[in-house]
Amino acid sequence: MPTQEEKEQDEILVRDMKAGSMEAFDKIFELYQRKIYALAFNMTRNQMDAQDVTQDVLLTIYRKIDTFQGKSAFSSWVYRITLNATYMKLRTKKKEQYVSLDEGLPNFNHAGFQNDKVSDWSKGTDSLLFSNETKEMIEKAVDQLPEKEKVVFILRDVEGLSTEKVRDILDLTIPAVKSRLHRARLFLRKKLSNYFDEHQTRSTKK
Amino acid sequence: MICCKECIELLCDYFEGTLDSNTATSLEDHFKDCPPCVSFLETYRQTSDLCRKTLSAVEIPEAVQERLRDFVKNRIQNH
Repeated sequence: MPTQEEKEQDEILVRDMKAGSMEAFDKIFELYQRKIYALAFNMTRNQMDAQDVTQDVLLTIYRKIDTFQGKSAFSSWVYRITLNATYMKLRTKKKEQYVSLDEGLPNFNHAGFQNDKVSDWSKGTDSLLFSNETKEMIEKAVDQLPEKEKVVFILRDVEGLSTEKVRDILDLTIPAVKSRLHRARLFLRKKLSNYFDEHQTRSTKK
Repeated sequence: MICCKECIELLCDYFEGTLDSNTATSLEDHFKDCPPCVSFLETYRQTSDLCRKTLSAVEIPEAVQERLRDFVKNRIQNH
């Protein structure tokens, strides 16, 4: 989350950049390049695409800074430009693969109580977290999310932005942000559960 | 008592701290009597945590960094 100081710093940089300061642009480049690249990379999972998106965004910031009116935070504006460039990239590449997010919910009986046993793998993941297999599984699972849920999940849970900030960037309502976030988390929880359950079965068999 | 289904629907708001106090209390009462929902809650929370730890580690590779610097220098600053 940007602090008040970071916001003020952004405001000064934007003002200076509008006045023609190349140093201010350099500073914005230094401050934002990783954020832009990381968001583009997590959305596309492709280094070349993330690089292209980052270049596009830098160029847009440079050319369009005068159109930024400061109604929202500068960082929100940068995230929006990044997502627009990312969507353009994704449109040219692949058709969205639809997955059903319903499978994220457990089975309930007619009264709404859980039927299945729910294993709690939350404490035993430390040793697995940094294995490549776990990393790949998580990347693949996030990649399977539909775009609408994926973007909310990445901004909110991966980038750690507030729900309000995600609402501003995506121009959604708060309930819509929460509902997409919840659906994404349920879907991913299910995928992670299957993986850790299977892992546990494998290690007890050894 | 609220059921598991309602309980799971409320998890996002529960973690955001945006439930009214009566609903939050009902949810916590449910957790006291429902180990499956506690497991669900813990793994729901851990899901966000693991994904964040895995995906937020993205760094710009040195070669890309170099190309970005060139891009800024040649395509932006000199035009």
